[in-house]
Amino acid sequence: MMRLFAFLTILVSAAGLRAQDQFITWRTNYREALREAAQTRKPIFLEFRCEA
Amino acid sequence: MEGRVFDAQVVLSPKDSPLGKVLQEYVCVRVVRMDDVDVALFDRDWNNAIYFFALNSDEQIYLRYGGRESASPDTYNSVDSMRIALEQGLALHRKYLSGELPKQERPKPVFPREMPLLVERTFARRACVECHLIGDFQNIQRERDGVLDKLTHLYRSPDIKTIGIELDVPKGLVVKEAKGAVAAAGMKAGDRIASWDGTAVWSFGDVQYRYDKVDRHAKQLRIGVERDGKPVDLTVDLPPRWWWTDLRFRQSSVDPRLDFEDRPLTDDEKRQLGLNPDGFASRVKYVSEFAKIRKTHDLRVGDVIVAVDGVERDEWANTAELFLKLHTKAGESAKLEVLRDGKRVPMTLQTNILSFRK
Repeated sequence: MMRLFAFLTILVSAAGLRAQDQFITWRTNYREALREAAQTRKPIFLEFRCEA
Repeated sequence: MEGRVFDAQVVLSPKDSPLGKVLQEYVCVRVVRMDDVDVALFDRDWNNAIYFFALNSDEQIYLRYGGRESASPDTYNSVDSMRIALEQGLALHRKYLSGELPKQERPKPVFPREMPLLVERTFARRACVECHLIGDFQNIQRERDGVLDKLTHLYRSPDIKTIGIELDVPKGLVVKEAKGAVAAAGMKAGDRIASWDGTAVWSFGDVQYRYDKVDRHAKQLRIGVERDGKPVDLTVDLPPRWWWTDLRFRQSSVDPRLDFEDRPLTDDEKRQLGLNPDGFASRVKYVSEFAKIRKTHDLRVGDVIVAVDGVERDEWANTAELFLKLHTKAGESAKLEVLRDGKRVPMTLQTNILSFRK
């Protein structure tokens, strides 16, 4: 049972890492994005999404 | 939910996709709560459930991406045109960093928590500050303060199709077909729109935002296009009611609900009926079931509305429906003069207000 749990944990983590690696990372905090953009000298792409 | 598919296409862009490669050059941020958003800096038509800005850490906005037409929220959204816009954003950013792009003046910040109606009706209930509520409450406040200009504040985001522009959407601002007023001004298929009313534009979102800022009294509009790599300036004669759009998708707006729709009479129809040729006489083409339930009026399909409150002509309206939308406050009543079976019938119309929904 423990071995199965460990295997599943590794599988889920690996899938998560792969997804993280595969797709664009979207921040959720605008102020933090401003700081990061200032540090990296990158522009910001800001999405406003009304999900209601 | 409006824009769901496009949202997923953008947010789940693989890094190795054409869009993903450009997005990696940006710090991407997705904001789903409007509570702390500076609504002055990020001013837009708030009836867009999805909207984007490219900017820098000094909060200088390079371009907008988004915008919709009345018929559909998705007409102008495309991952291809977004990629084109974002590439342009990178070029503008390089110019900014090298000092070639002048700094724009930042508008005085305004936050939703400073908007009394939002505080009273949304924050107090711990409800979500939905995008459209910002626009709705701005207009309700303007109406209360006596500064609501319906032509500008209610009929937001004029439709470029009204002046004859059909875009080749995946190609950004490339014109697919030019008809009507813009064709008369010399616009051609294949032109790329480069400026609108004197301001550089990089996306449909930019065009629609700039178009919205044009004075509704304007008779002409300057559009700059790029043709075969060369700039061409066009002066477009704006047709009557170039600003008009179908408001039905703006479901919580301040416009009076009328429970009917009409169409303008033709010159021939007016002549045959002996009506004022310059008047806004119109034929009823649809009556909502709510008219019977709420007993708001007794109009029938086919009726001709000749006058509203004794008025037959108006500078802006070409139908009784538009006259009522422009000159009546939601909740007020009006006296109609209706032509039915050859007889003039007086009738009262009670308009409805929808602000209780908030």
